[in-house]
Amino acid sequence: MRPDDRELDDEIRGHLALSIKERVEGGEDPEAARLAALREFGYIPAVRESMRRIWYSRAFDACAALLQDIRVALRSLRRARGLALTIVVTLALGIGANAAIFSVVRGVLLRPLVNRDEDRLVYIRQSAPSAGAQNMSFSIPEYRELKARATTVSAFGDFSTVDFTLIGLGSDPRIVKAGVVGGSFFDVMGLRPVLGRLLNAGDDGTKAAGAAVLTYRFWTTALDSDPTVVGKAIRLGPSPATVVGVLEPSVPYPADTEIFANVVTSPHHLGVVMVEDRTHRMTEVFGRLAPGRSIDDARAELTAAHAAIVKAHPESYPPGAKVQLSVKRLRDQIAAPARTILLVLLAAAALVFVIACSNVANLILARSVRREGELAVRAALGASHAALRRTLLAESLVLCSGGAVLGVLLADPLVSLVTRYAARFSVRALDVTVDASVVWIGAGLAMAAAILLAYVPRLPSSHAAGGLGLASGSVRMTAGTSRRLRMFATTQIAFSFVLLAGAAMLLAALVSLQKAATGYDMRQVVAFDVPPAATGVAGPKAVDFYEQVIRRVGELPGVQGVAVGSFVPWRDHGLFGAGMPFTVEGRTPANGDAPPRARFRLVTPGFFSVLGVPLLAGRDFTDDDRPGSELVAVVSQSIAQRLFANGDALNRRLVWLEPYFGRMKVRIVGVVADVDDENVGPGSPLTVYQSVRQIGYGGRVFVHTAGDPYALVPAVTRTIRGISADQPVERGATLEDIRAQVLSPERINAFVFTGFAGIALLIAVVGVAGVLAFSVSARTREFGVRLAVGSSPRRLLARVLSEGVVIAAIGIAAGAVGGFAMARVASRFFEHVQLPGAVPVLGAAAVLVGAAVAASLMPAARASRVDVLQALRSE
Amino acid sequence: MAKSPDEGRLELLQGTLDMLILRTLQWGPRHGHGIGQAIRTQSDDLLKVETGSLYPALHRLVKRGWLKAEWGVSEANQRAKYYRLTAAGKEQLLREKNRWSQLVHAIGRIMNPASAGPERED
Repeated sequence: MRPDDRELDDEIRGHLALSIKERVEGGEDPEAARLAALREFGYIPAVRESMRRIWYSRAFDACAALLQDIRVALRSLRRARGLALTIVVTLALGIGANAAIFSVVRGVLLRPLVNRDEDRLVYIRQSAPSAGAQNMSFSIPEYRELKARATTVSAFGDFSTVDFTLIGLGSDPRIVKAGVVGGSFFDVMGLRPVLGRLLNAGDDGTKAAGAAVLTYRFWTTALDSDPTVVGKAIRLGPSPATVVGVLEPSVPYPADTEIFANVVTSPHHLGVVMVEDRTHRMTEVFGRLAPGRSIDDARAELTAAHAAIVKAHPESYPPGAKVQLSVKRLRDQIAAPARTILLVLLAAAALVFVIACSNVANLILARSVRREGELAVRAALGASHAALRRTLLAESLVLCSGGAVLGVLLADPLVSLVTRYAARFSVRALDVTVDASVVWIGAGLAMAAAILLAYVPRLPSSHAAGGLGLASGSVRMTAGTSRRLRMFATTQIAFSFVLLAGAAMLLAALVSLQKAATGYDMRQVVAFDVPPAATGVAGPKAVDFYEQVIRRVGELPGVQGVAVGSFVPWRDHGLFGAGMPFTVEGRTPANGDAPPRARFRLVTPGFFSVLGVPLLAGRDFTDDDRPGSELVAVVSQSIAQRLFANGDALNRRLVWLEPYFGRMKVRIVGVVADVDDENVGPGSPLTVYQSVRQIGYGGRVFVHTAGDPYALVPAVTRTIRGISADQPVERGATLEDIRAQVLSPERINAFVFTGFAGIALLIAVVGVAGVLAFSVSARTREFGVRLAVGSSPRRLLARVLSEGVVIAAIGIAAGAVGGFAMARVASRFFEHVQLPGAVPVLGAAAVLVGAAVAASLMPAARASRVDVLQALRSE
Repeated sequence: MAKSPDEGRLELLQGTLDMLILRTLQWGPRHGHGIGQAIRTQSDDLLKVETGSLYPALHRLVKRGWLKAEWGVSEANQRAKYYRLTAAGKEQLLREKNRWSQLVHAIGRIMNPASAGPERED
């Protein structure tokens, strides 16, 4: 349909032939006729151009020209494979890292939740940050009153986390993370079932039948998506229940919830303590904004209502704690923990991209200097600046699209790596996959890089057309080019330095954490979760059960000691909040001072010796410390030293101020060494131990073994099941492994950052080596002359090496200044910005200088081996 | 035929070239040269179409679907492109003809008010 150029030519030729024929027939001389016809026709190329324009737009022609240039670029790059490969791989690393991080950030921070009208969904939290309680939860009376005062929130849903022993799904009894929810919960959350139904108002109250809804993840992973699960009878702890449905895939906040159950399944939720006690806080509250009301309205109203509630019941709040209320979008609440880490990763990825780009710019600049002769010839032959620029653009387009394709392919494994990492901070990361946006991001970055890179080289200026360079076609480096090359190399070093220093800081922190002494016997102690609720009995009967466990497990061969506690170090981090306020008799606190807070732990006799915590004074608990006898406590050394004169705490009295405890008074009978069971970074916490037997609560079993600790795990499980068949015995692990597990986010942080820094270092080494190699090859003649006039090869070697070191030194200095400035800016947006200490900084600098020397070695060796005669003849 | 060129020639009115081409092809297909010649002779050498305008116009009309182009062999024994009116082209010609006579009429009324139409009574 569209005529091509040949057809247009044919048509013009036909016209001319007719025109000539007509004139010849009119009696003109054939040659004169030909000239006249041509004259009459006009300028043929112009006419043909105007005919072409009917069919082909200017853009089409430009594309065709670019395509032609791309074909040329492919051919000429085939001759420089090493360079092309380096550029493509460098860009792929930069683009791949960015694409992966972008898709995770998008998936975790920006993607809306699946919940209906999710932007109307709010999460309401009560906290007392000054007392270390980031999330206090609500008690039922508080929730009730808040609900009654609210007009900006049209509906409320409540949720409380309970660990249930689940019997009836699968063969073994197991502990499940359950959410006990009111009937309005799912309606407020705006979720639908994939199977059966969800819980509704009909499931509320004491008369309802027990009903459970499974989360999608639990259903698919633990039950293999069993389609017959609805209608199955199960037991949740002591209560019977029926599985009524499976929830659609959604983010189960506020916990890694596996199952939802109605209130009747938890006897505790029906008890008078739960319903009436203002201090019994375990309920999380969600709300849906009323139509037409904004989250700011809700925040203002609920904060005021909450302040009134607190004011009306001062006795229900720990003294000195400034209790506050926050209202957030649920989406923001879910994303919050991952936000900082993802933004930091994003910054790291951006740094890698800049490093990659400047390295590629370097390589392309060096290449274009080599091509200066060719470009000068083309310019002299009349190629316009635009045409030359297009040649360069075509080449950088080819390279960058290669990098983008490889980068997007690379993004897939990177995304799965980063999501596994980010899942520790936000459950939303779990279902992030590479989506189409990654392709667009990759393409966008590549385009940006390509256009940027095409404008890096300077074109030969038309007025100084060539001269010598044109004739000889040899490589000459102008001062400007050399400066630019060095500038890019310095940039790479500077950015690599920032990344390296950051990674070194994380590594140093990790090493110091891993080396730190914990005060426990780490290798030989195995901790088990043996939750008390499973037996369906609390109080004395539960204590009997645990004492039986201690006796029977203690009889197993290879067991050196058994004890029961309430808290597995590190693994149970945050289980009991941030400690409870107390005071000691005879101490008058300064006015307005908040009382000290201590961790509250329950242990059986022998606990300290089993875990290897030395008893410093007084005695351990004994079997005589029983219900009805005087309440006794063992305290940590820090309590003795900080609160008692001369550390003399024995036989003094300690009073709990937590309203929930009703001013319980205990006598101190022993002092043990400090151990920090909350934080992996050891501190000297205030800890109060009381007797399992006197308080009536346990839940964790500790076994000190003689040989291989894990060899005993099956025997211990069997023994405990022998006492109570439906008792879950889970997560048996040595303290050493538990600590390693808890440390793994730190380890992964360090790993990911070291990965980024490693990539950056690699690229920077390639960059420095490339710059020096190029500078050496461009100065072959200079080196030849130097050698000819008597310079020793060794001096040339030292000269080139020192050039590399100078680039590295300037880069490091720039990086240090820039990094410090970045930290200053970042500290305005984030709370915990740390500057690395001297050791990591010096370490990073040493690594970079070493890398620079290594990178300069090969070009330097080449410079010292220059053949004098050849060098002088080369022009 | 050897008149001195460009003397007494009229400039083509903007937009009339398309109409003239369509009109020239009313009685059968012609090649580009023939169309140019036809316009010249039929206007008694008063109108002359430059090839630089004629050929782009022909291609534009083909693109719009009013003409169809076919290769043939010309009187000069050369490959030549022949243009033919399509059905749509015929309709277009009719439309342009009507518009043209309206235009002539309107301009005529302005230029010669006495001879055109019934006189108004003020």
